[in-house]
Parts: sequence; C-alpha cells; structure tokens
Amino acid sequence: MIKIENLTKSFTTSTRKGFKTNTTTVNAVNQISFQCVPGRIFSLLGPNGAGKTTTLRMIAGIINPTSGSAIVDNYDISQGSNEVKKRIGFLTGSTGLYERLNPDETLDFFGKIYKIPEEKLKERKAYLFDKLGINDFRKKRVGQMSTGMKQKVSIARTLIHDPEVLIFDEPTSGLDVITAESIIDLIRESKENNKTVIFSSHIMSEVDLLCDDLAIINKGSIIYNDTFHNFKNEMKANNLTQEFINRVKEA
Amino acid sequence: MRDLLIIIKKELSELLRDKKTIINSIVLPTLLVPILLFGVMKVTKMIEKKEQHKTIKIGLVNAPKAFLHLIKTDTLNTISTFSEGDDFKSLIDNKTIHTAIVFPSNWKTQMDSLNISSIKIYRNSSKNNINQRVSKVITAYNTQLKEDRIAQLQIPIEKMKPFTKNYIEVGEQKELIGKRIGGFIPYLFILTMWGGCLLAAIDLVTGEKERKTIETTLSLPVSKFKVLLGKAFVASFLGFIPAVLNLLGLIIGLKIVDDIPDSFKLVINEMLNFEAVTLILLLLIPFSLFLSGLIISLVAGASTFKEAQSKATPIIMLIIIPLVLAMMPGIELSWSTVLIPVLNIGLGVKEIMAGTIDMMQYVVILLSLIAFAIGTIYFSYKKFSDENAILK
Repeated sequence: MIKIENLTKSFTTSTRKGFKTNTTTVNAVNQISFQCVPGRIFSLLGPNGAGKTTTLRMIAGIINPTSGSAIVDNYDISQGSNEVKKRIGFLTGSTGLYERLNPDETLDFFGKIYKIPEEKLKERKAYLFDKLGINDFRKKRVGQMSTGMKQKVSIARTLIHDPEVLIFDEPTSGLDVITAESIIDLIRESKENNKTVIFSSHIMSEVDLLCDDLAIINKGSIIYNDTFHNFKNEMKANNLTQEFINRVKEA
Repeated sequence: MRDLLIIIKKELSELLRDKKTIINSIVLPTLLVPILLFGVMKVTKMIEKKEQHKTIKIGLVNAPKAFLHLIKTDTLNTISTFSEGDDFKSLIDNKTIHTAIVFPSNWKTQMDSLNISSIKIYRNSSKNNINQRVSKVITAYNTQLKEDRIAQLQIPIEKMKPFTKNYIEVGEQKELIGKRIGGFIPYLFILTMWGGCLLAAIDLVTGEKERKTIETTLSLPVSKFKVLLGKAFVASFLGFIPAVLNLLGLIIGLKIVDDIPDSFKLVINEMLNFEAVTLILLLLIPFSLFLSGLIISLVAGASTFKEAQSKATPIIMLIIIPLVLAMMPGIELSWSTVLIPVLNIGLGVKEIMAGTIDMMQYVVILLSLIAFAIGTIYFSYKKFSDENAILK
C-alpha cells in the first residue's frame, strides 16, 4: 500500500550573472495526495514535465521530498528509504541496465543486493527467465541486446525480489506486441498476487486494459484522482486520449 | 560490508570488461617502462656508434707539425688548411668544415721562448661529439708541450705534483643515485595512477549517467555512501594497479634490457628492495583513494564523458607542479614539506629509494595521506548526494 500526503518537492537552481547570484526555487511537485491499494493497479498520468518522474522517484526513495509524507508498505520514505527500496520494484525509462553484464549476472547482482537466499534466487530467476523468454540470451551482454531483450531483462530485475509495490513507467515502450503482451500479463499477475502497482503509460489502450484507479498530474498538482470506473462515467469526450487532453487543458 | 563487496565486485567486473580500461590500466603501465628503457638504450647506443664513426672536417691555420701529426693519427679527421683572414663562421655554417683551430703566426717562437700563447677554436657548442673529440686532441697536445717544457727546464716530473687527491666517499652510491633519479620514479607512476583513477572514476560516475543506470543504482536498497565508497574503492584500485604494474615494469625492464650498465642495475635493484617497495606501495594506497575521491567530487555534476574530462583534466597541474618541485635538487623532505600532498609523496619516495627516509616523517606522510583521502571521500559523498548534480 502507498499513502501519499501533501508531498512536495522543490528544486533550487542558482544562476550567476557577473558577481550576482540569482536563486530560483521551483516546486516540481506541489502538495499532492493519493493512495494506491494492494490488488489494484493505479495509473499516474500526465504530460511530459508534469511531475510524474519526480513523484515516482520520491516514492522509490531515490530523492528526498521537501515536505509531506509517503508511506510505502508501512514505511515512511523519510524514515528509512532502504526499507522502502527493499519493498519496491522500480522500472522507468531512466532505469537502464548495466551494459557489460549479462542477464544472468544482472539478476544475480540484484538478487544478492536484495539478500535473496541462493536457492530461492535460482528458482525465481528460472521462473522469470522462462516467463519472459530470456533463456535464449541469458549469457549475452546487455550492451549487445535489442531494445525488446533489454526491456525483458529490466522487467525481470524489477521483479526478482518479488516486491510488494511495483512502479512501472511506460514498461511496454518500444516493444513488439508479443513482448508487450507478456509484460501486461505480468502486471496483471502482480495484481492477482495482491501487489500494489503504479502504472504509467502514454498508451491509452493499455491504461484502459489495466487501470483500476487513476490520478492525473499537471504542473506538479493532482488535477484528477478517482477510480477508473468513475473517470469513464464522467467522460465528455468520445475516447480516453481526448478526455485526457481536455482535462489537462482545462486545468 | 557485504553490500559494499557486492557493489565493488559488480563495478570491477564491469570496468574490467572494457577494452579501454584494460589497455590503460594494465597493458600500457606494464609495458611502458620496459619499452622506454629498451628504446632509449637502443637509440643512445645507435647514436653513439654513428657519432664515433663520423668524419670531422677540421680547418687549420699555422698548425705546428706536432699538432698536425696528432690530428692525423685519428684516421676519421680530414684536414683543410686556411689562412688567418678566412671567415670561419661561414665555413662552419655552410658545413665546409666542422671546426677551425687557428694558431698565431709566431707560435713556434713563442713556444721556443717558453712564453704563453693562445689559440682560437671556432666551434658550434651544440655539436658535442665534434667538440669533445677536438678538445681531446688539444688537451693531448697541451700535455705533450708541458712535458717538453719540464724536460727542457730539467725539473724532475714528480716535483710537478705537489699533492695528490684521494676522495673518500662517505655517501652510498644508492643514496647518490636515489636522490638523482628517485624524483623521476614517482613522477612516472603517480601520473599513471592519475590516468587510471580518472578513467575509472569518470566511467563509474559520469558513465553511469550516460548509460542511464545511475537511477537503477540509486534505487538499490543500499545507502548512497556505500555506493559511493564502492565506486571510490574501485577507482582507486584501478589507479593503484597501474602504478604497481609500472613499478613491476621498471624492475622487469632493468632485468631484461641488456645495455644498462651492471653497476647501475645493481644499485637500482638494491633501491627497489622488498622493504622500499612495501613502503612506497603503502603510501600509494591512501594516495589513490585521495585521487579517486577528488576526481569523483569533480565529475559528480558532469553529465557527459567530455564534460567530466574537461572538469577533471586541469587538476593534473596540481599533480605535476609538486612532482616537478620534488625533482628539484634544493627541495628536500622536511617537517614543512611533509604535509603537502603530492609533494610529500614525491619527496618521500626519493628518500625511500635513497635509503635515507626518516621513519617519523614517513608515518606523518602516511597519516596525512589517510586524512586527505578521508576528506576527499567525504567531499565526493556530499557531491554524490546532491540530487541536482547526480540526476542531472
């Protein structure tokens, strides 16, 4: 479970003009609150630069919030982010893989860091390799792989420690339909296993397929937060994409 | 500790799979000194041989018979006779002759009267081989004339030697050579260490940003300090290893290159004994950590390899200047230089190689390097924790 309350992140930048230094503070995320519950998929939608990545980074303990709180699986991110990190599987467009390692070594590394017992790690690795079809290239270095292969390995490393909370940011981006389908299956499976899932995508058909709860973020503030069922009922436009555009423009 | 070891193992595996790292950190440092030694020795020998067989064209004016005879005994000399008014500068410039020796026209009279006369030698000071060979002939002629005069004055030859000089060497040859070349050795391996640390630190910090893996690393359930420490240890290791291989290359080079004089080899071997090498390596461990901490703090804010290089490269001047100072003869290890980083290691290695290191000063250097290493690691941690810089 994730409970976000009044979460704010400010960035301060300094620009120097001669001997004068100008300091500017910008709120990338401004007092946002929402809740994600186990067994449901939460979609965080927003245009580029809306504050999605900053929000997800704060939840994952990568950056510290300026104010507010985020409780992830009963751990406050401001108290001990390592405990939070252990419970999260974090996958975004910026979480690349180590190019000089192969999938086997990559999963071993993550497994050891997450302190998974050797036997369990072996089983989990076999399951994910099988499920995602990684066995054929398990000894190939990541740097020599196609985008699809890399994304499969990324998903595997995100799920290796069977986390309670999963954060997926555009997980099917750049993938062929067959690979995308297997990833969507995995997200569904996570939901069935009572995991808390935050899912972000620009592909509205995927949102339609997976989403249970929804929040739209724009210019650092939440402009909509409800169940997907209610969102669909309140729709004025005739498709999801147009409705999303209209709501962002109106905000 | 377990997390730190996992991070170190992963960073090392990644770096050692990079061809650039292997060439710069292992292949080049090992081969550099033997190739340099071999090349320098071969080229020097080749030049010496060529110079020895070079014909010298000597222009003479009023040369006495005895001198002519001496010049002719060296079959490589060719003689041309000129008159006093000739322009010898032009003749040497246009390579008609290499040098000219002008005796005065009254030379014989002056010599017969046992007077002092003078000769003019036209020469180009940059032509060492020619000048040395001509000076040798002139010295031989001068000695011959002196002996003739002593005989003519009927002075017993032993009376011309009022005393003899006996030098008793109190310094060891090791100390002499150690002080002379000891400054050059740290120059060599500290620069290699800098290169190794620089390449590794940029790859481990800026490289992660370029490859978009920094966010992956920061999402691990490991503290930023441990991640940074792992990176700093690996960067320092990849700086330390080339320095060790450099030293090893020097020892191997001295063993396999034939043309080095045995006496010199013996002294160098004695200088690079187990104790000296251990003392040097002990200094290099905190120094490599100091360098990696310094470089990481410099490159933490850079988002491309090029930007990182341009930020870190100017700092090399802070390494070169103290090392050059350490090579200067007047600058010695003292309580005032013992705390200056880089200079203290340069001077310390010089003293270790000469066998004259003061152990108290050595301990202070070691402790100061450890303190500096802790300082730069802490500073690099602060930079690494700066969200604006690291996730740029």
